[in-house]
Amino acid sequence: MEILIARAPWYVAGPVIGILVTLLLWVANKPFGALGGYIEIAEWVRIRRRPGWRTYFTLGIVAGGLLSAILGAGWRPTVGYGSFDQLFGTSLVVKGVILVAAGAFMGAGGRLAGGCTSGHGVCGMSFGSPASLVSTATFMATAIGAAHVIAWLFGRSV
Amino acid sequence: MTLNAIGLLFGAAFGFVLGWARLTDYDVIRNMLLLREPDVFLIMMSAIATAAVGVRTLRALKTKSMVDDSPVNWKGEPPATRHIAGSVLFGLGWSVAATCPGPVAAQLGRGQFAGLFTVVGLLIGIVVCDRLRIRSTAREVQMRDAAAVGL
Repeated sequence: MEILIARAPWYVAGPVIGILVTLLLWVANKPFGALGGYIEIAEWVRIRRRPGWRTYFTLGIVAGGLLSAILGAGWRPTVGYGSFDQLFGTSLVVKGVILVAAGAFMGAGGRLAGGCTSGHGVCGMSFGSPASLVSTATFMATAIGAAHVIAWLFGRSV
Repeated sequence: MTLNAIGLLFGAAFGFVLGWARLTDYDVIRNMLLLREPDVFLIMMSAIATAAVGVRTLRALKTKSMVDDSPVNWKGEPPATRHIAGSVLFGLGWSVAATCPGPVAAQLGRGQFAGLFTVVGLLIGIVVCDRLRIRSTAREVQMRDAAAVGL
């Protein structure tokens, strides 16, 4: 389908995500967020606690991503990662070290803060939770600042 | 419908939108963080605005949840140091990986397998955080007990 090949415009993607947050509260009375699934999986790895519905939510995101590729421009598996490869090189070892480290920062940070970009940044913000407002302002400012530092260090032209 | 099936369905819808809007692409998130294009900010802000109206409407209409008949509601949380400290760490990781817990799962589905590294990192980070927290809680309890018996 033509419309699914092009990138969804913000005024479609944003409201649809907002409707999903609303519907999830209506259907299940649960706050929306992606980090919980990883926390459940980590607890299963650590203490064999049985994964709950948030794990299914995260697995659903994987399935939805697959669907977006199949119905869009097609499923094209790759280990390439856009201009990351120009900034840091195409070596899988380097890529692995950098991304595992970055992931660990997000995992520990998100766990400590109790939420991520979807949990605090969208859902908690829409609830008007003060903790989400503080968290979102903090990770936005930090990420924007750090991204500029990285661009300055590793090449502005890319 | 069970809660697990609901989770799977909502996750799939979310993952589809994340992929369709290319929030799974390194350069889309990088261009957002470098303030080169407003699209991702607009996605977030319009999602927040839509949900803010939606959830307040549900609450005002005293809607009951379909799963367990509980009245639809949510709890805000007062900000604490951990929100700032955690979010600084989160923001640093986000700026490097240019993806976060939602989009990286959609990356895997789309066949962008560099995301596997990020997922492994996420799980390591969570486990490390929990281990450290358990240790510090144990120490606190120890100190409290010690104080209680007058040591």
